[in-house]
Parts: sequence; structure tokens; C-alpha cells
Amino acid sequence: MDAKPLLPYTDDRDTRAFFEAAREHRLVYRACKDCGRGLHPPTAHCPWCGGWNTDWHPAKGGGKLHAWTTVTHPIHPAYKVPYTLVLVELDESPDVRLVGRIDGAPALEAGMKMRVWFEAVADGVVLPQWQVV
Amino acid sequence: MTTGGDSAWAARDKCAVVGIGSTAFSRDSGRSVLTLASEAALGALQDAGLSVHDIDGIVGCDHDRVTPWTLAASLGATGLDWWAQTGPGGGAPCMMIALAVGALMSGQCKAVLAFRSLNGRSEARLGSGVPGMGGQTVGGFGSYDEFYLPQGLITAGQTFALMAQRHMIEYGTTAEQLGAVALACRAAANQTPHAQMYERTLSMEEYLGSRMISTPLRLFDFCLESDGACAVVLTRADRARDLPRHPVLVRAVAGGAPPDLRGGMMFPAVTRHDITDIGGRTAAERLWQRAGVGPRDMDLAQIYDCFTISVILQLEAFGFCKRGEGGPFAASGALLRDGELPINTAGGHLSEGYVHGMNGIVEAVRQLRGDGDMQIPGAELCLCTGGPLPVGSSVVFRRA
Repeated sequence: MDAKPLLPYTDDRDTRAFFEAAREHRLVYRACKDCGRGLHPPTAHCPWCGGWNTDWHPAKGGGKLHAWTTVTHPIHPAYKVPYTLVLVELDESPDVRLVGRIDGAPALEAGMKMRVWFEAVADGVVLPQWQVV
Repeated sequence: MTTGGDSAWAARDKCAVVGIGSTAFSRDSGRSVLTLASEAALGALQDAGLSVHDIDGIVGCDHDRVTPWTLAASLGATGLDWWAQTGPGGGAPCMMIALAVGALMSGQCKAVLAFRSLNGRSEARLGSGVPGMGGQTVGGFGSYDEFYLPQGLITAGQTFALMAQRHMIEYGTTAEQLGAVALACRAAANQTPHAQMYERTLSMEEYLGSRMISTPLRLFDFCLESDGACAVVLTRADRARDLPRHPVLVRAVAGGAPPDLRGGMMFPAVTRHDITDIGGRTAAERLWQRAGVGPRDMDLAQIYDCFTISVILQLEAFGFCKRGEGGPFAASGALLRDGELPINTAGGHLSEGYVHGMNGIVEAVRQLRGDGDMQIPGAELCLCTGGPLPVGSSVVFRRA
């Protein structure tokens, strides 16, 4: 029996728009329309300027690699080792960094250009993933 | 005024730890966490020369399965009229001391028990993932776990591995420098009969040869998963003078958040701008001001060592060395018994046992009483830290 992966709760009032967009293969991020700063994890209130004028914005899907770790010790049966967790900074905002997963143990360097793709992990559940450009 | 004017520190040296208690640390206690907590608490009360009826406040950790009132029920501490639970996780013990000071100074309590109890190996292995992972759907409601767990970022070790990787990228930190932290803690454990790693030495060759868990962190970069409990009793310092043990004063306490704090527990913390800068740095600024002393005045320290990299980051945050120099500082031998800053003198979480920060508090008190197994001669001032994600906490203890 193949183990089932952990699925995101996609109905949170602050974060569900991210997953709704991913389902349509769109990457969005929350940002403040007053000060322009990104907000991740997403919040309705902007901690940078103190305003409430925040909304979801489309991202083009490019980023750069900030850090990574190759997991070699298995923790969860659905996640076969080795796999590499990547921390990617969104081109549109240095305030927004997203975590993705690459199978295996690729050779990586800080600052590498990354590109989003969309992985269907269950019926109606899609995760933005990242690959080296 | 010698403090730089932080009026919050009217509490300097006004409260004291008067009793400490611990269970044995093991891989399987065979007993409930409530039984462990009760044993540690009764040990601390006996050490303090107090009875269960003297306790009017109990503070525990938000991750503890034992609540303050359940412990009170087990002890028969029916005088309980103040209780608290704090966190987050490993940040709890130092904040428990801060809460106890607040309760004592405001007159709400006369004797506060602070405790942590866990079967962290036999019942709830912390390394197996975050609490609440049992269900297939994860996250939501301000945890933000929905962004991380489904990707396979599941454990604290993987999270700190990202920070370690970034520290290596920015500062050239090496595996051997991380290893120096592991070896320092192990050397202390080898002098400490109750430490889980008392009889097991560790060489740099063995450290480097240990299996990789999540690059760049190896097996010996990880703390132990342990069963055990620790407890301490605090009173005001004037009362402490009438009790049997040499009092250890709470010189100062402080917590701190990093400049671009993120919510949730540990995963969002690695999405901050500068992920190797931690809340401990903010805590340290306040701590040293409140204490009226600085890092160079510390005779030793108990640095929260969930992982070796955690120690490097906190050495920098608390000002023992500059940003980026934690690796060379550790590799210089500074952390050893005869070094500039002996740390984790009973072995720490890496080699004594993992009681989620509380065993560091107990060891600090032991050292400042002059009762350490690996006693640091003339120890008068000891820093304890907690955290380090998402926020940091700290205490300076002083021998009365």
C-alpha cells in the first residue's frame, strides 16, 4: 500500500486563496497595497505598515534559491528519501519565501534561478513546486 | 542607576531558585508523564525544604501533557491559586522563570513550582514530526503548517538544517565547527554520571562519520529524545535566605522576537529575511541591560541545544562572538570545561537528556551552588537560553 502524503488544509480563511489559485495552476502571494511589502505566511493585516489594505497578487512564477536541505532520514512513508527541500524567494517580493520539494539530491547553489510548476497531490489539491531553471 | 534605566528590572536578584528536582533520563521511563512530573516536583520541594502545602503557583509548558492543575492534584497541592502554561516549546523554561518572578514580585504567589515532563522517546518522539500530524490534512488556523508539512518539511531537524545550510553559505561555517559543539557537550556528559551519554565518548572522526539525517546535519548534530522530568521551586529572595539550600538568584529574564517575526511555530521562521538571525538577539539586548552584566561576565552558560547549529546561532545572538563567528568560536575550544565559556556542563540536550530546556535550568542551579559533577570553579553567573524558534527566551542566574 502506498502511503498517502500529508495534504494541506485548504479552507483556512487567511490562506485558502493560495490553494484555490494553485488548483488553477496560478501562483499568488499576499501583499500590502499601501506599502507594497509581501506577506507570507499570509495575513489580512500588514505588519510592515500597520494597514489593512492587503490583497492577493499574481506572481510570474520565478524565484531564486535561498537555502535547501537534502533529507536522507525517512520520517513519513509518503516522502521517499532522499528528497530535497528548497527555500525559494519569490522574484516579486523578497518578503515571500516558499518551500518546495525536489526528488533526490540535486547539486544546488545559493542564488540559482528557480521556476514554479504545479503538482496535483490529491483530487482537487495542487501544490506549487519548484525546479531549477 | 546602573542598569541603563530599564525600570522593569526592579526585580533584579529579588527572586531565587530554592529547590531543584529531576528524574532519571532514559529511553523508556515505563511510567506516565504525570508520575515523572510528580517525582521531579517532590524532589524539588524536598530539596527546598518545603512541603506541597507551601506551593501556591505552578507553571508548565504548552507542549506538556501534564497541566499545572493535574500535577497539583497528584501532589495534593491544594493551596494552588495561580497557574500558567507558556511556550513556545523549548522557549518555555526561561519564560516559566519569568512568569514565576512576575507572580512572586506582584504578591500573587509565595512559592512557585515550574516543571517540564515528557516521555519524548517512548511515547511522543519529537523527531517523528510535529504534533497534530496524525491526520492526513494538516495546518490552518494560524499554524501555517499547510505550507510546509505537505512538502515534506516535517521536523525541527529539517528546519534547522535549512538554517545551518544558510549559515554555511553566508559565513563558511563547517561540519567540524558544528562538531565542536557536539564534542563539547559530550565531554561534559562524560563527566556527569546521570547523563544519558555518560559512558559514550565522541571523537571528531565519529562525529563526521555519523549518518546524515538532513544535510548538512548529521546524527550527532541532533539532541537526544528522552524520557524524564525536571522541576524547580522559586520564592522571593528574602524568604530564600531562611531555606536550607544556598539560593540561586534570578538576576534577569528576557524574551525577544526577531525583527521580522513570522507566525506559527518553527517552519515560517525560516522564511524570514535573515534566517540565521534569531529572537535571542533581541532578548539579549534586554537581558544584559536588565542584568547589568554582559556576556563576558558569564562564568558558564546553558545554551538551548536542540541541534548543534542552535548553539552557534545563540552564541552569536547573545554576544559571545560576532555574527558569523559562532563556528570558529566553538572550534576554538571556548565551550569546553577550561574554555572561555563552558556550556551545557551536564551534557545538554545533545548528551545529557532532552527535557525541553528544563534540564539546563536545573544544571545552572547545580553549578551556582557548587554542586556540578563537572563543576566550573568559582561559578557565580550563568546564562540559560531557550527557543530559539520562533522567539527566544533567556535568564541570567547568580549565586547569592
